[in-house]
Amino acid sequence: MSSGRRLPPWLMAAPAVLMASFVVLGGLLTAAAQSLGLLPLAGSPSLTLEAYTTVAPDLPSAVGLSLAIASASTIAASAVGFMAALIIVQGRWCGRVVAAVSTLTIPFPHIVGAASVGLLLSDSGVLSRLTGAGEAWPQLVGGPWWFAVIADYSWKESAFIALVVTGALITRSTGYDETAALLGAGRLRRLRHVLLPLSLPALTVSATIVFVYTFGSYEVAWLLGRPSPEPLPVMALRVFSSASLTSRPEAAALAVVTAIVSFGAAFAAFALLRRIPLWR
Amino acid sequence: MTFTLRTKTILSGTAAIAAAALALAGCAAPPAAQAGFTGWDQVTAAAQGQTVRLWMYGGDKQGNSYVDNTLKPAAAKEGVTLERVPVADTKDAMNRVLTEVQAGTRDGAVDLVWVNGDNFGTGKQAGAWSCGWTSMLPNMTLTAASDPLLANDFGAPVEGCEAPWSKAQFTFAYNSATVTDPPKTLAGLLDWSRTHPGRFTYPAPPDFTGSVFTRQVLYSVSGGYANVPLGFERKAFDRLTPALFDTLTGLAPSLWREGKTYPKTSGELDALYAGGQVDFTMTYGPATLTKLVADGTYPAATKVLTLEEGTVGNASFLAIPSTSGHQAGAMVVANLALSPEQQAAKADPRVWGQFPVLDPAALSAAQRAMFEALPPSPVVPAYDVLSKNANPELAAAWVPELDDAWRRQILTGR
Repeated sequence: MSSGRRLPPWLMAAPAVLMASFVVLGGLLTAAAQSLGLLPLAGSPSLTLEAYTTVAPDLPSAVGLSLAIASASTIAASAVGFMAALIIVQGRWCGRVVAAVSTLTIPFPHIVGAASVGLLLSDSGVLSRLTGAGEAWPQLVGGPWWFAVIADYSWKESAFIALVVTGALITRSTGYDETAALLGAGRLRRLRHVLLPLSLPALTVSATIVFVYTFGSYEVAWLLGRPSPEPLPVMALRVFSSASLTSRPEAAALAVVTAIVSFGAAFAAFALLRRIPLWR
Repeated sequence: MTFTLRTKTILSGTAAIAAAALALAGCAAPPAAQAGFTGWDQVTAAAQGQTVRLWMYGGDKQGNSYVDNTLKPAAAKEGVTLERVPVADTKDAMNRVLTEVQAGTRDGAVDLVWVNGDNFGTGKQAGAWSCGWTSMLPNMTLTAASDPLLANDFGAPVEGCEAPWSKAQFTFAYNSATVTDPPKTLAGLLDWSRTHPGRFTYPAPPDFTGSVFTRQVLYSVSGGYANVPLGFERKAFDRLTPALFDTLTGLAPSLWREGKTYPKTSGELDALYAGGQVDFTMTYGPATLTKLVADGTYPAATKVLTLEEGTVGNASFLAIPSTSGHQAGAMVVANLALSPEQQAAKADPRVWGQFPVLDPAALSAAQRAMFEALPPSPVVPAYDVLSKNANPELAAAWVPELDDAWRRQILTGR
C-alpha cells in the first residue's frame, strides 16, 4: 500500500550523495585542474604534466614510506583492536574497563595524541628525563624507524577498530560461541571458526578506513617524524606552503597521487570483502 | 528507465560540480588594489568600528601578550577592534591570502600580516598586497627614508606595500657553563662543533631559522657577504654553493645524532638546547632570550655569541592583503604600531624586546627619552652592539633555491 507513495531509493539517497560528491568531486577536480597547470597563481593557464614530472623523482621514497607507515599501523591497530574487542565481548569487568578506555581514546584529536606522545617519548621528553637515560635514550621520536608515529596511529586506531568489531560481534557472537562450546570446541577453535569469521567483514572495513586515513594523514607524521625521507602528505603540505608560485601545482599533483593510492587501497579492500562468505 | 534517469542525474550533477569548481577557481587574481583614500582624515573616519584581524606567528608568548595587552587597547582608543590570529608559520597566512586572491574574495579573513622576506616577495608577485599606502601614515615620517633595511625586504623593493614594524638580528646563544672557549667567528663555531661531536645542530631548512643559518654559512665560506651578490644569479649560485654544501656535508657527522637527521623547527632546536642536549641555539628574535633565561627554561649561564664578521639583520613589516575588506582599520593599526610610544613599549625587554624601526634623528627629545629609559637586558646586548657589521639579507629568490639544494644535497644525499 505504501510502495506507491514511497520515494525511489536513489532519490532518498540523493541529498547525501550530492553533498558528498560536491565536496569529494569538487576537491578532486580542483586538485587535478591545479596539478595540470589549469589554475596558476600567476600567468595564463596551460595544460601541462610539468608538476608531475617535477615531483616524480621524490615519489618512490615518499609513497613507499607512507605505505610502510600505514601498513605497520594498520596491522598493529587491527591486532590490538581485535583482541580488545574479544575482551569487551566477553562482558566481564575487564571487558568493561577495556570498553571504557577505548571509548575515551576516540574523542582525542590525533594532534593532541601526537603532542602527548612527543612529550613522553622525545629525546628531552618526560620518560627520558625520568629515567635519566640522556644520550642512551633510543631515537623513538624522529628516529629512523618512525616508532612514535606508528605507535600513535596504532594506539588511536586500535580503539576505533575495537569498537567497530565489538559492534559486529556483540549481537550474534554469543549464540554461535555457546553452541560451538557445547559441541566441544576449545577456545582456539572457537576463535578460529566462530569469532574470526564473524568479525572479519567489520575488521576488513575498519582496517581499510584506518589504512586510508593513516596513508593520507599529515599531522602525526609531521610532528613525530624526521625531515627526511618524507611521507607523501607531509611532502605535499611542505610543497603547498613553500613560498614559490610554481609549488602549488606540484602540491596538487602529490595530493592527486595520494588520492589515487587511497582509491586503490579501497578497491582492493572491497575485492577482498566480496570473497568473504559473510559479506555476500 | 530508472537506470537512464539515474545516469543522467549523476552526469548532470557532475557537470554542475565541475562547472562550479571551475567558476570558483576561475576568477582571476585581481591586481593589487589601492585603498582609494586621498587623506589620512578619510582613513581614520573610515576605520571607525572596523575589526582588524592581524595574522602573526603565534609561537612567541611575549609577542602575543604585547599585541593583546598593549597594542589592542591602544587600537580600541582609535576606534578599531584588533584581533590577533596566531599561525604556526607566516606561510599559513600567506596561503590563506593566496587562496582568497585566487577566489577573488573582496572581504577576506586576513586584514594585516606580520611578514617579511620570501613570503612578502611571493605575495607581491601574486598581487596579494595592497600597495602605495604607507606614505599616507603620519608616523612614517619618523623613519629614515634612506634606511636600506626598510626600503628593501630581502631584495624586494617595499614600494609602500608594507609598513615597517621591527628590526631583528640573527643571533647565536650558547651555554657558557659548558662552552668555555666560545668561538668568535662563524668558521670558529663550525670548528668548535667539529671538536665537540653531537653538541651542535641547526634546524632543517625551509625552517626560517635554519634557512638563515645556511645563508650565514654561505657568507662565511665565501669570505664575507661582500662576495655574494645579493640579487639571485644562477652563475653565482653555481660558483658559490659547492663550498657551502661541502662544508655542511663535512660538518654533518659531528652534529647532533651524527647529522643523520635535523630538528624540523627552531622550536625543536630550542627544546634540545633547553634540555641540555646541545650547547648552542640560534634565533632571529633575540628578544625572547631574556625571558627564557629568567624563567629557567634556558640555562642561567646562557650568553649571546657576537661574531666578529657580524650576523644577518633584517626588518619585519605589517602588510595589508589586497583581499582585506578593512583596509582603513588596518592602516590605522599599522600607523599606531609605528608610533614612538608603541615602538618604545615593544622594545622593552620585559614586554617584547623587539628592536625599533624609528630614526632617532627624527624623534623629539621627549620621544628619544622614552627609548633611553628602557632597562638593559642581562642576556642580550643592545641593538647597536648586536647589529655591528650587520650583514644584509640575500634577495628572496636565493632562499627557496638554497633551501631546496640543502634538502637534496645534505638531507637526502646521505
